[in-house]
Amino acid sequence: MFAARIRSALPAARPLAQTSRVGALQRTTPAFARTIITKRYTKDHEWVSYDSETKIGTVSITDHAQQSLGDVVFVELPSAGSEIKQGDQIGAVESVKAASDIYAPISGIIEEINETLGDQPNLLNKSPEDEGWLCKIQVTNPAELDDLLNEEAYTKLCEDGEDH
Amino acid sequence: MSILRQLKVVRTAALRSAQAPTARVFSYQLSTKASKDPPVYVSASDCPYHNLAFEDWLFRKTDASVPLLFIYRNAPSVIIGRNQNPWKEINLRALNTLGIPFVRRKSGGGTVYHDLGNTNYSVSVPRESFDRRSNAELVAAAVRALGPPAYVNERHDICVDGYKICLFFSSLFGSAYKIIGRRAYHHGTMLISAKLDQLGDLLRNTKDTLTTKGVESVRSPVRNLSHFTPGIAHEAFVGATVREFRKKYGGNEKPTIVGKDDMFRVEDVRKGIEELQSWEWSHGQTPEFTHVLTRSFPWGAITAHMHSKHGLILDSTRIDCDGDTVCAESCAAIGEELVGSRYGDVSELISRVEGDGGEKADIRSAVLRWLGEEM
Repeated sequence: MFAARIRSALPAARPLAQTSRVGALQRTTPAFARTIITKRYTKDHEWVSYDSETKIGTVSITDHAQQSLGDVVFVELPSAGSEIKQGDQIGAVESVKAASDIYAPISGIIEEINETLGDQPNLLNKSPEDEGWLCKIQVTNPAELDDLLNEEAYTKLCEDGEDH
Repeated sequence: MSILRQLKVVRTAALRSAQAPTARVFSYQLSTKASKDPPVYVSASDCPYHNLAFEDWLFRKTDASVPLLFIYRNAPSVIIGRNQNPWKEINLRALNTLGIPFVRRKSGGGTVYHDLGNTNYSVSVPRESFDRRSNAELVAAAVRALGPPAYVNERHDICVDGYKICLFFSSLFGSAYKIIGRRAYHHGTMLISAKLDQLGDLLRNTKDTLTTKGVESVRSPVRNLSHFTPGIAHEAFVGATVREFRKKYGGNEKPTIVGKDDMFRVEDVRKGIEELQSWEWSHGQTPEFTHVLTRSFPWGAITAHMHSKHGLILDSTRIDCDGDTVCAESCAAIGEELVGSRYGDVSELISRVEGDGGEKADIRSAVLRWLGEEM
């Protein structure tokens, strides 16, 4: 929720390639670092929160997804170090109702996985958009964020789905 | 990750073959009457690999806007959930003695025993009409038409007289987009005249020191339909369920009977069958677990701290012995040799060790044999 608020406070996240370069140059002077966090969503109900300074994209499933899936009982995570392309399957979530694939919202290399989910899969229910992150990806092509949905478009997608 | 990669290959292939000639031939054959009726398929195969692969393909590939019913039976087999541990859930030795296979399905949930005495059904419906209760009611109505006074309880289980007569898996495997956005799947196993005592033997878990991540099964009091109305058969249940499905979702076409040959005509089903039969899927998909084994030998008490992930033995595995140096060194050597090998499979290591000769080889061979039995 916090990340979502930051994102909406900084709606002008484009052009990404340029802003991230600025962030990298200013790394030595953190007091003035201009980090832009961009949060985007997929139609498959994943989210990615991209940090322009570190070029790390944090990935998980949305609050809407965890609510629809119900109690999560197991999370399959990718291996750290593996290279993935946008749209690749990077894991799966099993809940009491369903088992569903997770697809990479963005291309890159898996930097870190959230080991805590191995013992506490229900973190995905408690905190899907914060502590329940699945993996961190070293993003290779931030421009891919443009293919994803912003918060408004994603919210609309969820509402349309419920109207059926 | 290799499994995930494999899955992805299957998925991509499934998408490709939407335009492939094999798929067209098959869908043409399945709808020769050019009818718009919601399709109903009844399997003529009793092979669990065929039926589960076909079911997965149907769910992933077919038009999400059309309701669909698939009914099948399996020859004796144990079906485990996607994220379960076969070493924990199943008495593998009893299973091997009886020559019964275990199959890891693509969907989540717990372990079930299948034989020709239970009938499996899957209903796929577009999201807007999905309501787990109404689908359970559909099947309860089919059962009532055959005699037993079935009802749906508050947890949406189908019961007679307080006993569950039907077991549910969670929804089939699919993308969240399909599950959340476009369609929902309901899958059940109706107990008609299943050998429920087999279930006790095969699913009895004696490995108390095996601690596993993943999903554990929950047992509940169940009864066969034939307990309430003797003589109920698979065919009658199929007929009644198809009638109720048609009543609710329309159409009047007879079910399409799908045989092994029809299934094998679809490349993705063939690949699905291969994948279900592979070690990488059946064992390699097992979540991380530890297993502590102890036993006294003439040379000392041995404790094996086994650690496994993806069905392989991890390098954190340790084998301790409180005996003399020879014993301790032999055990430490086994611990190292086991790393990377498939859990429970020590035959190759034993033959290698026995070639060595000497006291250490005797110890290692005895310990390996014991581990092979207990893992």
